[in-house]
Amino acid sequence: MTVTALVLGPIVIGLLLYLVPRKQWRTATTVAAVIAALAFVLALADPHAPDASRHWLARPFDASFHVGFGPISYWIVLLLSLATFGGALVLTGPRSRDVAAQLLILQGAMNGVFLAKDLLLFALFWDLMLIPVFLVLIDAGPHARAAWKYLIYNLTGGLALLLATAAFGVVAGTTDVIGNPNTHVTIGETWGLWIFAGFAFAFLIKTPVFPFHTWMPDTYAELPAPVVAVVSSVQSKAGLYGFIVIALPFLAPEMARAQTLMMVLGSIALVYGALAALAERDAKRVVAYSSLSHLGLILLAIFSGSALAFQGAVVYIVAHGLFSAALFLVLGAVEQREETRDLARLGGLGARNPKLAGALMLAALAALGLPGLAGFSGEILILTGLFKAGFVWPALIALVAVVLASAYMLRLFQGIMNGPEVPDLPERRDITWTEGLAVAPLVIGFVLLGVNPGPVVALVSDASKTTVSSTGAPAAPIPETVRAAR
Amino acid sequence: MSVAPENYIALSAVLFFIGVVGVISRRNPLIMLMAVELLFNSANLALVAYARAWANNAGHIFAFLVITVAAAEAAIALAIVAVTFRRTPFVDVDEVSALKG
Amino acid sequence: MLLYFIWLLPLLGGVLLWAFGPQLKSWAGPIGSALIGVSFAATVVLWNDASAPGGLHVPLVTWLPGWSFGLQLDKLSLIWSLIITGVGFLIHVYSIGYMDGDKAFARFFAYMNFFVFAMMTLVLSDNVVGLLVGWGLVGLASYFLIGFWFEKPSAVAAARKAFVMNVVGDVGLMFAIFLLVQHIGSISYADIFTHFAVLASFSPHVTFLVCLGLFIGCAAKSAQIPLHTWLPDAMEGPTPVSALIHAATMVTAGVYLIARFAPLWSASPDAQQLVGVIGALTAIAGAILGCAQWDIKRILAYSTMSQIGYMIMGVGVGAYQSGVFHFLTHAFFKAQLFLAAGIVIHALANEQDVRRMGGLRTRMPFAFIAIGVGVLAISGVPGFSGFFSKDAVVYGALETGHPWLYAIGVITAGVTAYYMFRLLFLTFFGPYRGDVDPSDLGIRHPELAGIAPASAGRAASSGHHPEEEEPHRHAPSWLMSGPVAILIVPTIFIGFLDWGGANSPWGRFFDGFFPHASEAAAHAPAISEIVSTALVFVVVVIGFAIAFWRYGTTVAQRDAIARLRTESIRMPAVLVNAYYFDAAYEALLVRPARALGGWFDRFVDPHVIDAGVREAAWSAQWLGHLFRSFQTGLVRAYALTLALGVVCIVAYYAFAFTGGVR
Repeated sequence: MTVTALVLGPIVIGLLLYLVPRKQWRTATTVAAVIAALAFVLALADPHAPDASRHWLARPFDASFHVGFGPISYWIVLLLSLATFGGALVLTGPRSRDVAAQLLILQGAMNGVFLAKDLLLFALFWDLMLIPVFLVLIDAGPHARAAWKYLIYNLTGGLALLLATAAFGVVAGTTDVIGNPNTHVTIGETWGLWIFAGFAFAFLIKTPVFPFHTWMPDTYAELPAPVVAVVSSVQSKAGLYGFIVIALPFLAPEMARAQTLMMVLGSIALVYGALAALAERDAKRVVAYSSLSHLGLILLAIFSGSALAFQGAVVYIVAHGLFSAALFLVLGAVEQREETRDLARLGGLGARNPKLAGALMLAALAALGLPGLAGFSGEILILTGLFKAGFVWPALIALVAVVLASAYMLRLFQGIMNGPEVPDLPERRDITWTEGLAVAPLVIGFVLLGVNPGPVVALVSDASKTTVSSTGAPAAPIPETVRAAR
Repeated sequence: MSVAPENYIALSAVLFFIGVVGVISRRNPLIMLMAVELLFNSANLALVAYARAWANNAGHIFAFLVITVAAAEAAIALAIVAVTFRRTPFVDVDEVSALKG
Repeated sequence: MLLYFIWLLPLLGGVLLWAFGPQLKSWAGPIGSALIGVSFAATVVLWNDASAPGGLHVPLVTWLPGWSFGLQLDKLSLIWSLIITGVGFLIHVYSIGYMDGDKAFARFFAYMNFFVFAMMTLVLSDNVVGLLVGWGLVGLASYFLIGFWFEKPSAVAAARKAFVMNVVGDVGLMFAIFLLVQHIGSISYADIFTHFAVLASFSPHVTFLVCLGLFIGCAAKSAQIPLHTWLPDAMEGPTPVSALIHAATMVTAGVYLIARFAPLWSASPDAQQLVGVIGALTAIAGAILGCAQWDIKRILAYSTMSQIGYMIMGVGVGAYQSGVFHFLTHAFFKAQLFLAAGIVIHALANEQDVRRMGGLRTRMPFAFIAIGVGVLAISGVPGFSGFFSKDAVVYGALETGHPWLYAIGVITAGVTAYYMFRLLFLTFFGPYRGDVDPSDLGIRHPELAGIAPASAGRAASSGHHPEEEEPHRHAPSWLMSGPVAILIVPTIFIGFLDWGGANSPWGRFFDGFFPHASEAAAHAPAISEIVSTALVFVVVVIGFAIAFWRYGTTVAQRDAIARLRTESIRMPAVLVNAYYFDAAYEALLVRPARALGGWFDRFVDPHVIDAGVREAAWSAQWLGHLFRSFQTGLVRAYALTLALGVVCIVAYYAFAFTGGVR
């Protein structure tokens, strides 16, 4: 019941929000924030909620409307609620009613993606979650180019995903498999590689990973900050989540075969994103490229086959969600005040907006992996795991990216907040209490997760054990992590 | 006495050929429709002839089905023709090429 | 319990002062100072527990099996904790006077308290990841405080540089952690030290790599070559910050790290060799640069770099006790030097150029005495603290069989005496030159002179200091002179702790704590300790004599202006540009990275990757055009096609079922 409500509730209420007159956008945003908060409370109060399942198709393969919490999706649902809550709170202006409605629909659709236990359902929600973002984009941007780019890239991925899902269903006989430890689905060699390729293509585009990433900076730059906070914090994890819950348990041999390729792509994304972020002038695009870099790291972790890196990846997925949402929300506040995102034009805001500066500082620090905050705890686990599994070069490349991260994040922060005050920038008041309320839960989240990622790790790690004096097994192919994923 | 099925089939083929030539060569839509009717009926003739020859009633049933479809087709086609000619002054299908790619 | 208290109290202070700074106003300083004072008192209370074998230990959190975090207070961390909270307390009190009237007064104390928390995390952690957390947090605190006056572009740039270079160090530490976790599977010191010696997989090669990773961390944090360039720029921060972070505590974290990992270091002679050499090189290179500086804080910064070079050399070659002892004495005398310099700077309305000082002996007798004592201590004049510790370090190099390092150490002692007495003479003797036209003193426009950009913003710096409106000189308040006066006592006397070698209080305190350098006994030093002491003293006297000859004689003081002008103009470019390290990094790393990133962003993304996607779209469009031509719109053409199609199908079946034309 809880789980179904988490998926369908926001969608229904989001649609109903269109009944609110546009002038009363404040009502709409408040409702959206309350619903998001409610979703958070609901998930927090009932972590062991039973699955909801309704049989749906018998031919050509078994499929069900089956949703339920999994060890990773539970945290993502909490994260999504926080991000949506923050996004809805900071919405202002006459368009907010529509955006608030789309935010709720997006929340429901993404809850659907992460809670779906059926592959077909997963694929359907996968495409559904594109629609609200597309609508917001085409409404918000001065030119529709970014919107179409977003839609075309992601629909191409969605198509591959759907084909792979159908093939999976036909070969395995059922798609009701996600997170089900009792299914013994084996995909033979004939189809395995094709099915894996379809999934991987979709997931790589969605994450995104080099070289499928070019839609992302455009989308992130054009989307209004509240929406991009949600998209970057949660939607970008859909692909990685897919690798973890679909590819890892059912297509392990294919994953092992693709390991080298993915390691190379992940490493390229790591450095490419970091360097591009270092050169970019648009504040939101800096964060977009930093995401490319960070998500590349998670890809490395997932494909390394190391249990430690895998646990780190899950921590980092949540951590990245928290800090990227906070970053975009704060950047949105900056953009709203100064009407520009250009780092060359911005500067010196810190003197008059100390609280805004503090919020941006915290988010940037978490993003650059300051020890003690969430980015670090994920990073160190991933890197140690990578190294332990014998992937020395990717780990060393990641270390370079860590240094670059500190450079571009400080460049971002200092470019906006430090330096002499710029006289021709409008002078606005410091962070409002609603903005503070929107960012605070995210900040608290990444501080707590940074101090102790134990709870997140514990949920995914009962199977894997690291013992004193165990020597690193060289590149143990996936199985070690399979149990953790299921 | 009975006529050999070959004769029916030959007649059917002749009718079909006339119909095809009519559809392809004439520009007046009404004539074309009539040619289409010829096509239908040549097919009907063949169906009924085979049905009789092999004592299988499926052919008869198909013939009835075709007659029904032909009636429906004629009704719709005439409606389209009427609407089209209300818009254009020509009685020439080559001038009606709104579906050109 | 008390340990948690010591650790969290500064954090509490930092958060409170940050959140409620505007409300607390001028109370922020006393509150912040008091918290650190309480922390210090609590640390003193724990003395006995900490110096017991094994020390104190309390758990914190566990991430995973093998990843448990806790706090530990043993002899080594006790020494550091006492300095951090003790000297930290004095500097906090001093700051109440120094920062009085700054518009971000509360924020300053918030950062300072946060720094103490971070530094305590570093030294109290019982595991290497916790150490890394502290390592990163002190870097952050340092970033905050260097960039404290963040309207100043030079301060902002210096802060970022310090942070990024320190992240390079963090990355080195991470590398060491990877290896340790890979081979030992645990992050706690106890596990590491008990297991590494018996594990077969922990080969000498691995030990060396771990030490190398740790040393990259040390080099970045402790400003060792080649990661030292951030330290001089860090002088952009307020002077108390320079005293606390960039002299007494944070920059010596590298020394702590090596001393903490003494068992590993002792097991890897190669690493010892490397660290010893780098330490010695840094000592001499920093000292030489110190001779070429005009900014009083930059002179002290290079001297800090040089002195830490000594410490690193000491702990590197295995003379752990001496290295740590030099840390202790240096913390006192360098903090005192900085604070006293701060009094001078404060009184001269933020003038930091020694060429524009002079003759201050009579106007500021207290500052003169304070700096004088500090100079005597750092130069190693017998009886002062620096004498004991420096001698011990230098002789330690000889004892462990590194005569070349010993030689460098001795020479550096002479250079140190030279530039410190140069500072003393220029500042306090001769005529006052503050009212002389800068160009007469050879002070050119900083950009033209090619001085590092950090010093270029100096002129603008005063704009953000409360003194600008009131450029009159005034006597320091007791809040500022009090801490300096207190520091004079240990600056002179603390050295006697090490009087008498192994039987001294210091020797007994650390008896059995550090591994004995295995080869130490094998090398009988060529000269005895007393001869060595005499040798060092002679070199120091030579250094002093040169400084006196160039700046102290009556003639030199009379011609000071002309001489300074000549010296400024003739200063070798290689020294002015600090051996071109900054330029090299800029040309080899920063610019290429920027350029590559810009190329990715502005060329590869739109013109390579997107172009590929566009090609795909175009090919679809071309295919569409092709098919479009089939759609003529002529019904009769369609009918013909249809008929031909039917013919084809019929023909196919005719041939297929009849076996073709017979």
